[in-house]
Amino acid sequence: MTTDTTFATSATDAATGVDTLADRLAEVWVELEERLDRVPVLSRLAAGTVTLHDYQRLLFNLRQQVVDGSPWISRAASNFDIDHFELRTAAIRHAEEEHRDYLMLERDYVAIGGTLAELRAGRKNLGSEALSGYMFHYADQPNPVGLLGAMFIIEGLGAKRAAGWAARFQEVLGLADSQVHFMRYHEQADSEHTGDLEAILTSGIIDDAAADEIVRCAQVVARLYALQLEELDR
Amino acid sequence: MGSMATAYLTGFGAYLPGDPVDNDGIAARLGGDDPVTERIRRRVLDANGIRQRHYALDEHGEPTELNEQLAVKALQAALDDRGIEASDLRMLACATTMGDVLVPGFASMVHGRLGGGPMQLLSAAGVCASSLAALDAAVSKIRLGDHPRVAVVGSELSSRSLRQRRFDGIRAGMDSHFLRWMLSDGAGAVVVEFQPHPSKPSLRVDWVRQVSLAHEHDVCMRAGMSGDAPSVGDTWQDVDIADAEAAGMFVLRQDVSMLDELADAGLAQFEELVDIGLVDVTKLDHVICHYSTNMFRDLAFDGLRRRIPTLDTDRWFSNLETRGNTGSASIFIALEEAWRTGRFAPGETVLLAVPESGRFSFAFAHLTVVAPPDQPSPSPQQQGAAA
Repeated sequence: MTTDTTFATSATDAATGVDTLADRLAEVWVELEERLDRVPVLSRLAAGTVTLHDYQRLLFNLRQQVVDGSPWISRAASNFDIDHFELRTAAIRHAEEEHRDYLMLERDYVAIGGTLAELRAGRKNLGSEALSGYMFHYADQPNPVGLLGAMFIIEGLGAKRAAGWAARFQEVLGLADSQVHFMRYHEQADSEHTGDLEAILTSGIIDDAAADEIVRCAQVVARLYALQLEELDR
Repeated sequence: MGSMATAYLTGFGAYLPGDPVDNDGIAARLGGDDPVTERIRRRVLDANGIRQRHYALDEHGEPTELNEQLAVKALQAALDDRGIEASDLRMLACATTMGDVLVPGFASMVHGRLGGGPMQLLSAAGVCASSLAALDAAVSKIRLGDHPRVAVVGSELSSRSLRQRRFDGIRAGMDSHFLRWMLSDGAGAVVVEFQPHPSKPSLRVDWVRQVSLAHEHDVCMRAGMSGDAPSVGDTWQDVDIADAEAAGMFVLRQDVSMLDELADAGLAQFEELVDIGLVDVTKLDHVICHYSTNMFRDLAFDGLRRRIPTLDTDRWFSNLETRGNTGSASIFIALEEAWRTGRFAPGETVLLAVPESGRFSFAFAHLTVVAPPDQPSPSPQQQGAAA
């Protein structure tokens, strides 16, 4: 019912030079990339001084949060009412696609010499706690449309950065493809997801209030995701 | 277009049972002290050049250990050398000519005795070259990224089948005497990983290659059948055990008349490695070649020298004379000694060569010495060779 109005608003924004949702998200993304460049493990990766221990700790830390990915998306799906049926559909599909991802990460961890027992006995780092807590809290709200902003960040990292990280880890540490499954897989899978996301963001079902929520959520998730990478093992 | 990991040898171990036995101590263990056998033994020993060896037999010829125990001791030495535990391994590849029992596979028994955690196993059967077949499997799994750490062992306990009781009342010509006075016991092991040793040099495995020419050669080394080809209903498993024993089927034999042909075929395989570029003779620094007797050392050395005029005895390593011919264990026992005694320097290359007479198999491995990650190879030239 709101569709026509929203579409009209977006079109007007574009015509009048007001920042579109896409522009605003792009700004959040640029800020995130600048912050990522300063994350210690990623700057060591870029410099080629990263160690196998760094890769192992990164997988270990990511795993503790990745296992929560599908649950918060599922929870969000259950909080979309019938007026947001398309978002519910997308969330259900997305949750299903993601809910086995952590197994890939676990196999990578074992393939480089770690054990499943120690990995599964791990706890979230400070950043992961904050990120996961925020996501579940947000997903509990009625019609948590802002989570599209969270997806924009998380899927964006998978689609645009993970494969590059994987390639660089392979180059520096001499790893086989089967030791970087998780990061390589996300290039393709998350590109599909970001394609789906773009379709939703430009479909006209997002009104101004929703756009503000999406941008705010993207800002918070970007900061907390970087915090997760900064706070490895803490 | 997938990327593979690199395989490095990072730990080396060997185990030789008991005290070394010199040529005069053989008869006490294996028997055969009648004048005729005595004469043959001297002749064979003169030809093979082995001065001492080890047997898992006491001074009365009674067994002191199992083959699987030899394997585990060599593995333990390799794990200690690397500073890791059996529980760090994800795969174990075992080579032997004959395990202690018919069933189950040798690797199952070695794993059971070694301990550690769940792991993939391979029992590589065959004769001498099964050592490098096991290494090849380990290296392949490391390269695929399937396992971070694998141990490989070659192990032999042939002495118990070389004792007099196997030969009593059996026609034993040169085909059995040649092996009887040549083979002995021992085990050698290596640890293979996808990362180099963190603080010591490692041997990077550049490639492993194994070729069989059984399609154009008859059986050369054998046990379990009469004659040089098995026939239906006439192997040791078909006839009564007593009949099989009386027919000498349990005596290990080698058709010594085929050995020149074997040496020629082995040299042709080496020539092919040079021809297709797997071996660059201008950059080959060390050769460790398994051979059964010094007679073949000279043939092989001369053959290699035709292609590598700079190859001198310093670059050629064998411990046949002091460790004996331990079959599939030999190449790892020789590699361990060469490594431990500091023959190799970072940047240098090593060729392992294992001809197998069984039915004409040849295995080679090309290795490059790499410095620990925090200590790059010394000279630019050597860095280039290691790149």
